Amino acid sequence: MGVILEVKNLTKKYGGLTAVNDFSFEIKRGEFIGLIGPNGAGKTTVFNLISGFQRPNSGTIRFDGKDITGMAPYKIVNLGVARTFQLVRSFKLLTLLDNISVSCLSSRGKKVAKGHGVDEYASTILASVGLVDKARIPPIILPHGDLRKLQIGKALGTNPQLLLLDEPFSGLSHEEQDVITDLIIKLHDDGVTVFMTGHVLRELMHLVPRVIAMHQGKFIMDGTPQEVAKNKIVLEAYLGKGEVFA
Amino acid sequence: MSAKSLSKGKGRVKKKLSGSKSYLLNWSKTFRGRLTIICLIGLCLIPLLTQNRYYLGIFITAMIFSIFAASWDFLAGFTGQVSFGQAIFFGISGYITSYFIRYLYLPWWASLLIGSLVGVAFGLLIGIPALRLKGPYLGLATMVLGLIMFYTFLNVKFEPWLGGSEGISKIPQISRNAVETYYIHLIFMITSFLILIWIGKSKMGTVFKSIRDDDIGAEASGINLTKYKLIAFMISAFFAGIAGGLFAMHNRGVNPGVFQPLYSFYAIVMASLGGIATISGSALGSYFFWFAAELFSEWPDVSVFIFAIILILVIRFAEHGILKPVLERLKDIWDLVLGK
Repeated sequence: MGVILEVKNLTKKYGGLTAVNDFSFEIKRGEFIGLIGPNGAGKTTVFNLISGFQRPNSGTIRFDGKDITGMAPYKIVNLGVARTFQLVRSFKLLTLLDNISVSCLSSRGKKVAKGHGVDEYASTILASVGLVDKARIPPIILPHGDLRKLQIGKALGTNPQLLLLDEPFSGLSHEEQDVITDLIIKLHDDGVTVFMTGHVLRELMHLVPRVIAMHQGKFIMDGTPQEVAKNKIVLEAYLGKGEVFA
Repeated sequence: MSAKSLSKGKGRVKKKLSGSKSYLLNWSKTFRGRLTIICLIGLCLIPLLTQNRYYLGIFITAMIFSIFAASWDFLAGFTGQVSFGQAIFFGISGYITSYFIRYLYLPWWASLLIGSLVGVAFGLLIGIPALRLKGPYLGLATMVLGLIMFYTFLNVKFEPWLGGSEGISKIPQISRNAVETYYIHLIFMITSFLILIWIGKSKMGTVFKSIRDDDIGAEASGINLTKYKLIAFMISAFFAGIAGGLFAMHNRGVNPGVFQPLYSFYAIVMASLGGIATISGSALGSYFFWFAAELFSEWPDVSVFIFAIILILVIRFAEHGILKPVLERLKDIWDLVLGK
């Protein structure tokens, strides 16, 4: 299994604030990995940098051996890196089927959709995220849990190799979280490399075998959830300095 | 997606999609479809009622501006790019069409095609810098570009090349026969509307609408925003160009006035009157506008005042245009007549 994503010395500054500071890590093909850190640690910025929505001040990002640093977002998507957003985004006035069709019409999605027809391919994805019954309705009337599923469906339409999920559980009830969890596990079993963030440790710890921890834009450690949970700096980052009673 | 999960969903999907083939047939049975067909038949029969050149001229003007308003509606309603410089494409095509007819003696249809294609070139030219701008900034930039065109064509120094304030005049009309001219315009309007509506319903239309709803989301879905926005600009410019060329021929001449922001506003007012993102609403808006203009033609100063009031009322009470409420009222009456 080769390295699918290689991030080296990534730095992003907003004026005087360094949101991501000399951040480096590697992800292997087929891995299932989490990125944790308290609110404001820079997780979303890391995702924005990888997916091209922001340019780093320095550092390089390589996907599948290819340098994608500062590339246009749609080009990165068409190489096989899809992402979801922390705040759900949808095409409000299009039906769910059309919401997914848009990704299937990207140059990468088209290649897979060709054999099936875009509508049919999009319906298949809708079925796989459990929304096929709602194919003809617009997303404005969907509950939040369905919107999270739609997000993942939209990312799947581009046929990703690497899927970046930004806080896929935020705002969900426990039942809804379980549904999304099953969905993500299924995707990983299908061969997609999954990289996800979360600020609540409990959700992620049961799910992923490997975790990267960050705090204030800096890399803290990389290891199994158990190792990370015992790490003093991680605990301090979450709970503050001083005695740890946990 | 693995092949396994693909085959799983197939059975469920086919049922949902089988209805699309008989789409046209179903459409013609709906209230909206029937109403459209009745309106089209009505428009075809108008020349039986009057062959008066003046009265048919009102209809022709309304049809030309239907196309123009629809071209703006396509760009703004489907792609979300609000242009205040639609008159640029309208005007440039008017000039080019007139030039080819008057000085190179080309047939009107060839000149019109060339004019519209030059409009497309301008769409590309303006589209490229304008694409980096969003919302009100795009509106401002396109409006200023329109003004630049207006003052360039008006400028005395350019008069030997661009015709100055006189523009190009004495162009022959499409046909000496008013009825024939009427039908040619009707065909242009129907064809333009069919193409625009068809694009809106096509896969490309879906991509356009996704850019309108959420451009960042569209980019995250792997859509090349620049490419699709440019295509939308070019399609819109083509139809604005068709309208501009027809307008020049209908008025037997063209002058720098066509580049005025006023003409861009005409398109916006008509499309908004009818209802944005409906295309067919533009026709309703345009007919409404020109019939009202005819009613108040005795008092030209008052008409602007009354239009402003109507527009304010429409924005206040029917912000999505008058097409939908009108359709609903008509449907109630229709049901009443049929005794449902």
